[in-house]
Amino acid sequence: MANIFPTWTKWLPLKLVIAMLCLGTMTAVAVTYYFTPKYTRVGYQPIQPVSFDHSLHVNQLGIDCRYCHQSVEVSGTSSVPSTQTCMTCHTQIKKQSPKLEIVRSSWATGESIPWVKIHKAPDYVYFNHAIHVNSGVSCYSCHGQINQMEVVWHDQPQSMGWCLECHRHPEGNVRPKDQVYNMDWRAESPSVQRKEGQKFVKEWNINPPVNCAACHR
Amino acid sequence: MKRIVEHPPETGAAKAYWRSVEDFSHTEQFQGWLKTEFPQGAAEFWGDGVSRRSFLRLMGASMALAGLGLSACRRPEAHILPFTKTPEWQIPGKTLNYATSLPRRNGGAPLLITSYSGRPIKIEGNPLHEACKGKSDSLAQASILNLYDPDRSNRFLKNGKNISSADAIKALAEWKKSWQANQGKGLAILSEDNLSPTEDRLQAEFSAKYPAAVRAVYEPATTGFAQAAIETAYGKGSIIRYNYEKAKVILSLDADFLTGDEATLASVRGFADGRRMENADSPMNRLYAIESRYTNTGAAADHRQRLPASHIAAVAAKLAELVGAKSLPIFQALPELQMDPKWIIEAAKDLMSAEGRALVVAGSNQPASVHLAVAAINEALKAQGITFEIYKRPRPTSLSIVELADVIKSGQITDLVILGCNPVYNAPADLNWTELQKSVNTVIRLGAYEDETAALSTWHLPQAHYLETWGDSVLQDGSHGCMQPLILPLYDGLSSSQFLAYLLDAPAGVDKVWVDGPELVQETFKTKVAAFATTYAFDNAWSLFVRDGFLKDSKPRAQASPFVFAGASMIAETRIASPQALSKDNLEVVFITDTKVDDGRYVNNGWLQELPDGITKLTWDNAALMSAKTADELGIYSGVHVKGIVAGLTDAGIYFSDVITLTVDGRSLDIPFLIVPGHPDYTLTLPLGYGHEKTGRVGQGVGFNAYKLRTSQAPAILTNATVIKTSAPRYKFAITQEHWSMEGRDIVREAPIAYYKENPGFVRALGIESHTPENITFYKSPPFDYEKYHQWGMSIDLTTCIGCNACVIACQSENNIAIVGKDQVAKGRELSWIRIDRYFSGSQRDIEMGKGVIPSDPEMILQPVTCLHCENAPCETVCPVNATVHNEEGLNVMVYNRCIGTRYCANNCPYKVRRFNWFDYNQRQLDQLYWGPLGPKKVEETIKLSKNPNVSVRMRGVMEKCTFCVQRIETAKIDHKILTKRTERKIPTDSLQVACQQACPADAIVFGDLSDPNSRVTKLKSRELDYSLLDYLNTRPRLTYLARVRNPNMRMPGAELVGMSLVNARIHHHAETEGHGEEGAAHGDTKAHGHEAEAKPAEHGSKH
Repeated sequence: MANIFPTWTKWLPLKLVIAMLCLGTMTAVAVTYYFTPKYTRVGYQPIQPVSFDHSLHVNQLGIDCRYCHQSVEVSGTSSVPSTQTCMTCHTQIKKQSPKLEIVRSSWATGESIPWVKIHKAPDYVYFNHAIHVNSGVSCYSCHGQINQMEVVWHDQPQSMGWCLECHRHPEGNVRPKDQVYNMDWRAESPSVQRKEGQKFVKEWNINPPVNCAACHR
Repeated sequence: MKRIVEHPPETGAAKAYWRSVEDFSHTEQFQGWLKTEFPQGAAEFWGDGVSRRSFLRLMGASMALAGLGLSACRRPEAHILPFTKTPEWQIPGKTLNYATSLPRRNGGAPLLITSYSGRPIKIEGNPLHEACKGKSDSLAQASILNLYDPDRSNRFLKNGKNISSADAIKALAEWKKSWQANQGKGLAILSEDNLSPTEDRLQAEFSAKYPAAVRAVYEPATTGFAQAAIETAYGKGSIIRYNYEKAKVILSLDADFLTGDEATLASVRGFADGRRMENADSPMNRLYAIESRYTNTGAAADHRQRLPASHIAAVAAKLAELVGAKSLPIFQALPELQMDPKWIIEAAKDLMSAEGRALVVAGSNQPASVHLAVAAINEALKAQGITFEIYKRPRPTSLSIVELADVIKSGQITDLVILGCNPVYNAPADLNWTELQKSVNTVIRLGAYEDETAALSTWHLPQAHYLETWGDSVLQDGSHGCMQPLILPLYDGLSSSQFLAYLLDAPAGVDKVWVDGPELVQETFKTKVAAFATTYAFDNAWSLFVRDGFLKDSKPRAQASPFVFAGASMIAETRIASPQALSKDNLEVVFITDTKVDDGRYVNNGWLQELPDGITKLTWDNAALMSAKTADELGIYSGVHVKGIVAGLTDAGIYFSDVITLTVDGRSLDIPFLIVPGHPDYTLTLPLGYGHEKTGRVGQGVGFNAYKLRTSQAPAILTNATVIKTSAPRYKFAITQEHWSMEGRDIVREAPIAYYKENPGFVRALGIESHTPENITFYKSPPFDYEKYHQWGMSIDLTTCIGCNACVIACQSENNIAIVGKDQVAKGRELSWIRIDRYFSGSQRDIEMGKGVIPSDPEMILQPVTCLHCENAPCETVCPVNATVHNEEGLNVMVYNRCIGTRYCANNCPYKVRRFNWFDYNQRQLDQLYWGPLGPKKVEETIKLSKNPNVSVRMRGVMEKCTFCVQRIETAKIDHKILTKRTERKIPTDSLQVACQQACPADAIVFGDLSDPNSRVTKLKSRELDYSLLDYLNTRPRLTYLARVRNPNMRMPGAELVGMSLVNARIHHHAETEGHGEEGAAHGDTKAHGHEAEAKPAEHGSKH
């Protein structure tokens, strides 16, 4: 029989296998990053109907988080403020600014300002803000350096695995209760954070649930 | 790898943004801003001629701007829409509670409504009111779905055509003018009886202002017999109020005071309190029931006698003679008794020995003479002031519908206003109301649904739901209850009071037609409370009234009322005639209000339609109920059963029945029949309220209209009925539980009280685990930390559970459980998480079933079953994706998003408490489920409002089950931790109630923390009556039961067999232990060992 296959085809199966393996590994690696919230959510920075600048209001003007996000200490949601909250100042300050036109027309007509939701947990997840901020978890831990954001972006992946990391080791994120709303506070070093954190965990009976019913109801 | 990526938004959002900017883009401000923001030739871009598309294109090119431009596919944009003006008191994410009351014909139910984000989502009883103490019933729980019913009337109609509310109001204004001009001549108002003091006041004012007008009140379910008798006996305006908790002995003559017309929340509570046993020495009340159908009262009774309704009068007469109530002429010439006289003699003796703590009640179906006799009996028993009391409450007089019909026939009425009611559907058949209504010139109807009456009305106005309006009501104990709105009327509806106020020119406020504030109620309130010295005093009292939901101390005081037999006109009626002999050619027909749809008002309520009837477990239908013997003799059924299932009528688990034609007094009705063990012979029970020709989508065409046979002469009991079988195809029933037998397993354990006292540990001696070796297993039980965590558990007391179904609806309301429709229920796919199992039991039943005959007079036991949250859950080990896991607090947790729908867990569950979503019941239409993705997909907006936001709404393909209301548990834990600033780890003792527990009017369900030694549930589980279902499987459930204890009177005939069914079986088994060798193998063989015939004391020797 004549040689149907040229010599170079001798190496083809091996090359194919190696290629498959490489491709497979690359796909796996790509998926575990690009298909996870670490990539798909982090950095999401939609345009809001009103270009509200957190760095101005929080850093420069010194307004506490809770002035607008009023229900965070008692309720599951931290509540985007109503138009009335904006108008408490903006009936006096910047009364004619075109940037606030939508706020003023919302106040006049009664139509809500259609804020774009950035941090969204799936419908079957029930996250409760109040228990977290009352347990020494700061806004910073989950939402990043909001007080320096001119336009808010999604800072942390907020995937279930990310939540569980903290739930399993809460000492890494727990801070003194009076520093919860201080976005600039940091522990002196990671080891100090851990030590202090462990102290708080013990003192405050912090026992974050890792069973499914805690969030999936 | 973190980079701040400025993802551009979806095009839609960009458009929306710019559209709003466009609105004011021509202002100078904006132009100025544009110049500073976009210096490079902004003016060129923005002019009158530029198109949006080119603008966006140009903008997109500029990277200096944050992401303004055309977008690629990114994540779908969601929006947050906060309030503009923050409403007072509302905290986003938290609920508020408001008190109100549900108006009802026998007394309003005090309620506390949970409101989320400005809309009511859950109904509970008002814990401040002593009549209900926070409990409610199935109808109250389900009434919230009527608020969100998408088929509710939402428009104004003229001659069936949609008109604007403005036009309707204009027309109304003109009529008002003409009515006022001629003082209401030719005007008639027909309304329902809401027991509302405000409405009564307005009716009275109406009669004063329009003296020529005619007023009538019609409640189809109220026969009026009981009230007529009480007023004859005690004087006009007398109302009777019962204190069941004080009664040691109760005899019910066809009165279903636990779940029927005669039931109030207080009656259930009182009875259950008298029944509950704290320990073996607790006193327990005794209930005798003589009834014309199987009811929950009969199921709870210690001694039950089935008797056709027309024969019960003779019992009343005999009883009256025995207790010495001889003063009434009705007892001259005693009618013939159709039952064993010894039964009544011993019962009477028992009643008399109770020294005033006895009570006899008669059903609303019984004629006035029986009620009069019963009143006399209660007086002779010296029960007034103890188990019943009389108070006075005068009501305004009005015509009955019969009298109104006469007036209309005489041609005097040109304008008929119908407030509520549905007379075309439920008026007595002999009035021929349809023709009457058509003969009136103008008919104006205020109705909740566009139903039969609306179809024949000139004008139709939408009626507001009780959760949408202000009002008040007379509560079940006579106190003054407040009704406040939880939400603005969804469809611009109005209430009867508002309509009447409009006719009375009550000031409504600027730009308003109807008085929509509390002014009307405040007016009435002022008359209720003694003169208010200052406005401050009134405001205070009013605020408390609205906050509490009722006026404190407004319960009318009982007055010692002498029994006066002064009604001479009653004499003719009060001679109790000898009962007719009934036979298959002379049948009796009894009309009852259905326990689910009431008199028909809830027919469009999906939850109630799908709720299995307490006794028959029938859903989505009504049927003519009869006994097996009757059906046999009528030739429509042969009366045989196989293994506790009616043979010949079930086919692959689906129940079919033949349709019969029931003819009485020349009127006929085609209706399928249903055999109920324990139903008296030769009598048929017809539940009313079904068979609407015109109603919403849920109720349309459901059931059969028994009102067609009901006349004003005989609204309750008819005789001389005949039945023939039709050749119509067999009718399919959706019955959730066809079988009656526990088949040898000790699922419900019971014993009579004497046996319990002798053998306090009898519960352990029953059951397979009593004669199997102890559960010794290789595997360690899962360890639970009782120190660190709560350990949730539940105990259900079968002695007090009456099977009223309040828990089933409460669970459905709390947990967003969908309804599946009749076809799916027929396939066994009902979705309710808690079910009430009912078994027929009793030694007589066992004998009959051993012969293959449907039991004729069995006892009944009821058992609510929900997920038992087994510590060794068989469902958890078999889930391939770990969607059901156990948490450290003992809950068996269901994770919907992980479930892939293998259904292995439901397969493995020995208690069959898991429910699978075979279809997307929320979004797909229930009659087009099998079209799958090709079928219509829609959720009505108002149904979305009714969902509890704290519970996931499940989609197709996901398993669900009772979660012990984990959302309530977590909320309670979080709230407590925050409240105590994290110093306390556990919630206070008994501070949490789950939905079923909160609704149960008998307080039979107790939930709590087992790690807390002071909690009620821990104490209940330590009692010797406590047992688990199917204990030998070693599932170690957290839900356990307290065995049922019955309290028979040993002198009654048949008393030694009451409650002894399972005990006899145990004795029977133990007596054979020697012979167990070869027969041991027959343990599983039902036929040979006679497991169905659990006790055959007489035949014992012959069989073996």
